[in-house]
Amino acid sequence: MATTTADIAAVSPVAVPARRASAGLWSDAWYRLRRDKLTMASIVVLVILIVLSAAAPLFEEHVFKFKFAQQDLLGAYAKPQLEKPQYLLGSDELGRSQVVRLLYGGQVSLFVGFFAAAIQLTIGVSLGLIAGYKRGFIDDAITFFITVLNSIPTLFLLLIITALFSPSALTLIVILGLLGWAGITLFVRGQTFSLREREFVTAARTVGASGFRIMTKHILPNVLPFIFILAAIDIGTIILIESALSYLGLGILPPTPSWGNMLSNAASYFNLAWWLVVSPGVMIFLTVLCLYLIGDGLRDALDPRLRGAS
Amino acid sequence: MRTYVIRRLLYAIPTLVAIATITFLITRLAPGDPIRLFTFGATDLTREDIEALRAAHGLDKSLPEQFALYIVNAAQLKFGNSILYHKDAMSLVLERLPNTITLAVSALVLQLIIGVPLGVIAAVNRGKWIDNAVRFFGVVGHAVPAFWFGLMLIIIFSVTLRWLPSQGVLTVGKDVWDIGDRLKHLIMPAFVLALAGIANYSRYLRTETLDVIRQDYIRTAEAKGLGSKTVFMVHALRNALIPVVTALGGVLAFLISGALVIEQVFTWPGVGQFTYAAARQKDYPVITAGVMLGGMLLVLSYLIRDIAYAVVDPRIKVK
Amino acid sequence: MALLGTLSLVATACGPTGPSGGSTAAPEEKPVAGGRLIEGSFSDIKTMNPMLVADVPSSTVTGKIYDTLFYADPKNGELKPNLGKWTISSDSLTYNWEIDPKANWSDGKPVTGEDYLTALKLVAMSKLTVRKSNFQDIEGWKDFVDGKATTISGVKVDSADPKKFSVKFAKVFCPALVNAFGSSAGPMPTHIFGKYTAAGQADAIDKAPENTAPTVSSGPYVFKEWRKGDQVILTKNQNYFKGAPLIDEYVFKIVADATVLAAQLKTGELNYGTVEPKDLADMEAQQNLKVFKYQALSYTYIGWNVKSTTAPALQDKRVRQALAFGLDMDAVVKSILFGQGTKMVAHHPPASWAAPGAGLNQYPYDKAKAEDLIKQAGFTKGADGVYAKDGKPLEFSIVANSGNKTRETLLQVATEQYKAIGVKVNPKLEAFETMVDKLTTGNQEIQGWIIGWSLGLEPDPYGIWHSSQIPDPAAKKTGFNFGAFTNPEFDKAIEAGRSGNCSQAERKKNYETFNKILNDEQPYNFGFSPNTLLVVPQNLRAIDPGTFSATWNLEKWWFKQ
Repeated sequence: MATTTADIAAVSPVAVPARRASAGLWSDAWYRLRRDKLTMASIVVLVILIVLSAAAPLFEEHVFKFKFAQQDLLGAYAKPQLEKPQYLLGSDELGRSQVVRLLYGGQVSLFVGFFAAAIQLTIGVSLGLIAGYKRGFIDDAITFFITVLNSIPTLFLLLIITALFSPSALTLIVILGLLGWAGITLFVRGQTFSLREREFVTAARTVGASGFRIMTKHILPNVLPFIFILAAIDIGTIILIESALSYLGLGILPPTPSWGNMLSNAASYFNLAWWLVVSPGVMIFLTVLCLYLIGDGLRDALDPRLRGAS
Repeated sequence: MRTYVIRRLLYAIPTLVAIATITFLITRLAPGDPIRLFTFGATDLTREDIEALRAAHGLDKSLPEQFALYIVNAAQLKFGNSILYHKDAMSLVLERLPNTITLAVSALVLQLIIGVPLGVIAAVNRGKWIDNAVRFFGVVGHAVPAFWFGLMLIIIFSVTLRWLPSQGVLTVGKDVWDIGDRLKHLIMPAFVLALAGIANYSRYLRTETLDVIRQDYIRTAEAKGLGSKTVFMVHALRNALIPVVTALGGVLAFLISGALVIEQVFTWPGVGQFTYAAARQKDYPVITAGVMLGGMLLVLSYLIRDIAYAVVDPRIKVK
Repeated sequence: MALLGTLSLVATACGPTGPSGGSTAAPEEKPVAGGRLIEGSFSDIKTMNPMLVADVPSSTVTGKIYDTLFYADPKNGELKPNLGKWTISSDSLTYNWEIDPKANWSDGKPVTGEDYLTALKLVAMSKLTVRKSNFQDIEGWKDFVDGKATTISGVKVDSADPKKFSVKFAKVFCPALVNAFGSSAGPMPTHIFGKYTAAGQADAIDKAPENTAPTVSSGPYVFKEWRKGDQVILTKNQNYFKGAPLIDEYVFKIVADATVLAAQLKTGELNYGTVEPKDLADMEAQQNLKVFKYQALSYTYIGWNVKSTTAPALQDKRVRQALAFGLDMDAVVKSILFGQGTKMVAHHPPASWAAPGAGLNQYPYDKAKAEDLIKQAGFTKGADGVYAKDGKPLEFSIVANSGNKTRETLLQVATEQYKAIGVKVNPKLEAFETMVDKLTTGNQEIQGWIIGWSLGLEPDPYGIWHSSQIPDPAAKKTGFNFGAFTNPEFDKAIEAGRSGNCSQAERKKNYETFNKILNDEQPYNFGFSPNTLLVVPQNLRAIDPGTFSATWNLEKWWFKQ
């Protein structure tokens, strides 16, 4: 399992460019990004994965003609084959189509990743902005809370919570979202600290802009590019955590397929059908890899100073 | 320095109280009753027997009463008797601690001895294929689901090739002090646990080294005519290592709590695996003892980190 | 890994050589001593005190250290003398025991009637045991538990021959033999544990160091070392009364899961373990392994809440019968258990002597018949293919515990197959502990559920089926008759089976009535009873396992070189 804190540490040395967020920053970044073949390839692969998962019902109906819950007990453990399109990637212990379930599993895994990350980012960014901008008592309170949170073995606690509550998919998303935002807050808080002393912020304050307006209109746009980096890495990490939870039987519960629970299920049948273990593992790996590479590429694009080869 | 340490330790108290409270609430608010679970299927039991057992564990009291007792006892590091093992919960958890520490420290050592050189080599060979390979590994190492990687290693090295044992800490029949046998058991779980960290360190070291190489004092040293290798070893690496050393505490803490899944895959009898099993059985005393021990280790390793930081980097003044 | 329950504990007793002992060895083979038996398990032991044991791993290990008074014939479960032999008085109230003259503790001290009394006293004084009710009908039990007496008056040790003792019960209770003289009542060494039975030190036994490191043994093996979370090591008892075992060491080793266990049997890291049906073909393909297959004393079922107001269809016997006809259990056994199991249509698995011989409806898979029964119950098929009555669809939920692959799969198959007969199932997975809570407290959210029963040597179904065991949330009464099924004739048969005439033939008759009612009423879809698949190396000799015991002649086992 990847480490939320360590990942954030890996991106945090980035300094915020000393200028206002402008079309320039974005277009420069985009220009550099386009020349970064690896990142572009990752984006393309990720988009394909998302589209395929989103289009799962269409594939189910028109291409494979096999419902994702449909069973064929006699066709269990079929090898990957071209003769029966529904068994393109083989069939599981109930004769269900692995490929169709992978597509639906993608929906679930990506959904969990994106939404839990959205919750983490919303909490993390808002608290970070507030703590960094307001300072004083509010900052102290938020920082103390984070200190406490950081002193709890998070992953440990997450496993205990899921073991005790065995949450549904939605609850799981909320739990994941509520636990991993501390690193984001600290990062955004740090950035806000330095940004609030910049001329354009002071200028905005002099013309009487409200705190809320300064935070959202002036500071947030400057932090935003880095939030994209954090988001990409965050989503990947959450997908990994979900798969680990599912491996322990604590994540998304069957019959709803997720890549994690398909993997965990297949792991107990690997001597009968090793190919069932391969495909969900590859999907998780590929998705997370793409997300991390995108995160990396974005960082390089936004801060060329750190670019290795250039 | 001493006052600093003492103050940090005092700060740890509210944190630990918070952890204790959270753990209590989580266990008690979760659905399920440990006694019912423990006696499930024992159809020859009478209801009186079941209630007597509940009373023996103090679970017949009201929640506020239980909480008050719990906090008073927790302050003395007493967490009560395990429902399953009939023994003091903290001592049961402590029995597993050496195994977890062994695993975490081994993983940490692997991270450093593999990750640091990789990062430095990549930075020195910036732009060459080896740099790209390390950078790619830096991402790949993170993206692999660790438990899956562990399973794959078991399938390859234990089931197919039969080179390494896949479970436990010692081969049946070997002496407790057979270090060679222990190492054989340790290598796979330690490596799997270290993987993400190796990737992390290689990225980190690469960036840091690049950063340091660009800095003026390296150029000055070079200008003074020192050989580029000497310059690099003496100045660049030392500065690059500062953040690595300071990250140790946090990483160790992460390894200790993150070892849970790996312990599960390799049946490594550590604190995480034990506490997790207790959570599945609702053995309240063991869950709280396990989480509290994890919290204490975390607080302690952050403290060590901060002290190391102060020692390694003289620019930081301890206030 | 959800345990089925603790009822199967008695099945692990060890015993003397039966006539079939050594039958697998060819006549020219001479047993040789040596070697190590390594058994695989998914969880660690919790204690080695048989009075405190409440889980299968602990009872597996403890059973090899503390021998029991009788043992069960592996094939038919008939009780046979082991450490002791017994006679029962004509009024069925007094049990007279005589302990084998050769029976000694591993330190050379004889096993006596006093040791049985010590065991009982330990149970009475422990606060953490769950075994007290096994002895509640013994005369003087309650007085001792309450501290009004210094001993249990119903237990009398012969002053002339310390090997003889008698136990008097206050009322006739057929399960008494198994319950009060089984594995949780094996003799305990008075010279070791006596110090914990003195008055005024209640619960001292719960903290005894001997619970985790037994010093003496009456069984084939003695305790050597417990490497927590990893392995338990026992060595042979040279003083074992049936002769020292041939295999030097017994090791209980913890592994992650069934897949790993199977893999380690192949590599020889383990040489004794039960595998899942999915691994059977792989095991049988191994030249160096052999597999024993025999019926287990357990079954996995789908229960129906027959009093459910939210799913009233389940109140109707015809609907429940339709649900039996409408699920192809043979196909389920074939696919989930790879054919290693038996379809069940009543409570007692066929291996038990209490199972009815014939005359049960087998409910063969028949979709048309199932739909007929549903129609007879007043339902008509709607446009969506689901039957409905009074505008309400024939719909209910079935919950299974997550993490149990067999039950999860059964749930998924049932959902699909019931859909084919126009019944809508809402499948749900919940944590085992949540399910246990809801079931035992009678939470009416429960409509259908999947779980298993693991039965013991004693077939008494009172705890599972008697009307007194129906949970009642209003009265805060818990119990195991979750589905609330009952009727007077049914209750009567259960009561007669436990406190009427205790002869096996008479009890069998009562249980036949009992099973026939269940078979007709179908308060459960009784599911299937799986086979135990025990894997050992090809060269392990003299092993002769059966439904009721696998290790009854452990001391005779040996490895051919």
